[in-house]
Order: sequence, then structure tokens, then C-alpha cells
Amino acid sequence: MTKEEIVTLTNQVFEESFELAPEKLTPQAKIFEELGLDSLDIVDLIVALQKKFKVQIREDERVRTIRTLEDIYAFILALKQEEDPKK
Amino acid sequence: MLLFGRDGVPPSAREIGKEMMNSHSTNLKRVVITGMGCVSPLGRGVSTLVQGIEAGRCAVRAMDDWKHYIGLRSLVGAPAELKDEKLIPRQSRRSMGRLSLFAVQAAQDALIDAGIDPDSNLTTGRMGCVVGSTTGSAISISQAFETMLPDHDLTKLSSMQFFHCISHTATMNVAQHLKLNGWVMATSAACASAMQAIGAGYDLIRLGRQDAMLCGGAEELHPTVTGSFDVLFATSVKYNATPTLTPRPFDRDRDGLVCGEGAGIMLLEDYDHAVKRGARIHAEVLGYHTCSSGDHVSESSRPAMVACMHEALRQSGLEPRQVDYINAHATATLQGDKEEAEAIREVFGDSVPVSSLKGYLGHTLGASAAIELSAALAGMRQDRLYPTLNLENVSPECQGIHHIQGAPEQRAARIVVKNSFAFGGISAVLVCRMV
Repeated sequence: MTKEEIVTLTNQVFEESFELAPEKLTPQAKIFEELGLDSLDIVDLIVALQKKFKVQIREDERVRTIRTLEDIYAFILALKQEEDPKK
Repeated sequence: MLLFGRDGVPPSAREIGKEMMNSHSTNLKRVVITGMGCVSPLGRGVSTLVQGIEAGRCAVRAMDDWKHYIGLRSLVGAPAELKDEKLIPRQSRRSMGRLSLFAVQAAQDALIDAGIDPDSNLTTGRMGCVVGSTTGSAISISQAFETMLPDHDLTKLSSMQFFHCISHTATMNVAQHLKLNGWVMATSAACASAMQAIGAGYDLIRLGRQDAMLCGGAEELHPTVTGSFDVLFATSVKYNATPTLTPRPFDRDRDGLVCGEGAGIMLLEDYDHAVKRGARIHAEVLGYHTCSSGDHVSESSRPAMVACMHEALRQSGLEPRQVDYINAHATATLQGDKEEAEAIREVFGDSVPVSSLKGYLGHTLGASAAIELSAALAGMRQDRLYPTLNLENVSPECQGIHHIQGAPEQRAARIVVKNSFAFGGISAVLVCRMV
């Protein structure tokens, strides 16, 4: 899975689940402060990302360090590379 | 108040009751209805509801997409239209299932009707809400199990699923969205939920604990809801091809209830509080009672209905002959309508006009009492008592009471009795006077 595909699918999650306009979804956008998500939204974000990317991230400690959209893209990319290191 | 009796003799329960009545009666507040809002199968708003009733419209339709449910015989329902829900900001809306969305919209409309801006500061501690429903969102409960059970996997559940499914979902969402921080409670008495909510709000204001309460109920249509009545042979099954001919309260050819959905919310208010702010008053609540049959979970009980109506009248200080109109519960089940007609006959004889509005709306279950009372009061404001739709031939066992049939009765009616009955042997009766 390419970085571009990850960005597209992640942004889809934010548009569908949190009704955010695409222009707000810049890589540096802070998830809490700028996109307006709260602790309950994060639970749903995890469920939606797991479904979208077919990964298990609920127990992954790295989730706690995520602050921006770019952090999510990088985290998912890392997960996908761990699944298949050759890519 | 008597605690130990006179001359060392313990007081009887009667003495204590008398003392309590005396000590409270001087302090009890008068309670009025100053706002009414609803989302019903006939549309959003009380005026739309009344227009539909005036036009003799039955909101029941064929539910073709229910056909794949094995064993579901009743394929009719009275859906309400959900629209404009996105006007509720996402962070409020995310915890709302369909019935909570209906409840919030009806609550907003009730406030506007009462001349109160829903966006104004309601966080005074003196205003709360009691909104009931049979269960939490039936759609969300069904989705939760469909998500979880195939693999017994909890990780796929949304954080909001819980808030949609809980029993107090409607009242919780109304309170959070409107920022109410007074008493917030939910009634859960199936089809009498809204009536018990209004009764609870009435008591809280009467006792001076709150100044105003948003009270009512909400419900949503789902095959599992109709199915729960269907397995008990309480639903209408003969009119799947001719849905607007059912339900038929008190009619010879009635064959059961038809489930509907929506929400009805009323703003109850301390009379002095309402007068002080110059509010328009729809009606005064004069009395209320709720009781159990203590007998059977599903069979209707004429003695319990009679006792409940008598006690509500006694609380109101009224005799049966002073009542001008009875808005019946009558859902068109064979046994329920018979018991209610007999109970009304026993208490009121055949002189007081009676009608059920379920022929127009189906049975909106936990929302029904608030929606139907709103329509009854709005009609009475125009001196109109609405007929029971689909009542063509009064069933022999439902005779001996004054049925309103065919066309509205034009008469000045001031006092209304609203009946509400539910599975579990629950009766609830409210008495109101037009102001």
C-alpha cells in the first residue's frame, strides 16, 4: 500500500466519520485542537481505521503518540510495512 | 407531621396520609403545559399533526422490506420522517439514535412553542427533563448485535453504540443537547412511558423541586419492535394489503395494533413561573395517577384501569360527570379495547365523548401519550374533538360509551382525561383543563 493510498483512505475516514471538509485535512492538522475530535471520537477513529486498513491497532502503544494526520499516515504506513517488509 | 401519634398511640396510615395531604396541600404548586412539540407519523410539529387528523389521514403503510423476517405476520407500520437532523451539531448528534433525534427535535419545538429559545441559557438547575421509551434505539441495539455476534468481536463496536442503546438515551440526549442541569430521568413503562414522564414532571414541579420540565416519550419503528407484539398475537395482520384501514380502535373488525414511531414532548411549568414570564398556557394539569394491576404482564385489566381513572379524578378534585372528553389509549387489540371501553363505561357511563387517535398514527408506544395529548389539546383549543379513524362499526363489547365517529364533534370541551396503558399491567391517567 502506497503512502498516497493511505492518505486517501485515512482522509475518507475523517470525512465519513467526523463530517470534516476535505480542505481541513492537511497533514499538519492537529486531531484534537484543530479537527475537533475528543476522547470518544478517538475510540471511533480506531474502529474505523481498523476496518479501513484491516489492521489491529487498539492495543498498540504507538496510538498514544499520534497528534496530527501525518502521524496517522506514518503509523499506518509502518504497520503495513511490518505486515510485508519487502514493500 | 405525625410521627408518633397522639397520647403515645402509633398513628394509622390513614392519619399519616391525612397529615401529609394537609401539610403539602398548602404548598403545592399549580402546573401548566406551556409548550408542545412532536415528530409524528403525520409529520413534524403539532400543527402538522392536527392538519393530518383534520384531513382524516392514516399514516400507516405497507412495510415491504420486512418481508424477509421469518414469522413476522404484521407487515404494516406508521413511520415518521426524520429530516433536518444534521442541524444538530455532530458532537451532540453522535450519541443520538433515531429515537433520540426525534426527541431532541420535539423538545426544541416544545421550547419554541413555549416562547423559549432552545439556545438560551437553560443551565439554571431549575429545569430538567423526563423522557421515556420502551427501550433504547431498537435500530442501534439490532446493529450492535449484528456487529458483535457473528464473531463475538467487541472491537468493531463504535463508542457511541452504547449511548444509542441505553434505556435513558432519549432523556440523556435531550438534557445534554439543551444543556439542562436539573432533574434528568427516564421512564421505561413501554406504551405508558410518556404518560409516566409527564406525571413525574408534574409531581416534581408541584412539589416545588423544579420550575419547568420537558416531559414525554420517544420510540422508533423496527421489525423487532413490531415482532415483539406479533409473537403475542397483538398486531394487526389482516390489512397488509390495505394498510390505511388499520388499526381500527373499538371497531368490530379490529385485529390488533400497528406500531408507529416519533416523539412527543411537552413543557410543564410552574404556573406562577409561566405567568411571570408572560407565557401562553395550553392547559393546566389537574391530576395524575399511575398504578399496576398486580395481576398479569400482558392481559389488560379493567379493574386497574377503573382504579387509575378514579384516583386521577380524585387527585383533580373532579367528578366523572365534569369531564368533557376522554382521549383513549385504545390500540385496536381485541382485549385491550374491550377492557378500556368497559372501564370507561363503568366510570363515566355513556355521556362523555371518547376517541382514540391511533387510527391516524398507529401506536407510537412510549411516545403515544404525549403526541396524542398534544393533538387532543390543540383540537380542544378549536372546540373540536376528533373522531376515531377506522371506527365504522362499534364492536359489541365496546358499546355503551359515547364514541366519536365519522366527523369531529364541535363542542367547547374544557376537561380532558388522557388514558395510557402498557404491558406489565401499567395504567397511567392524566387530567387536564384548558386554560
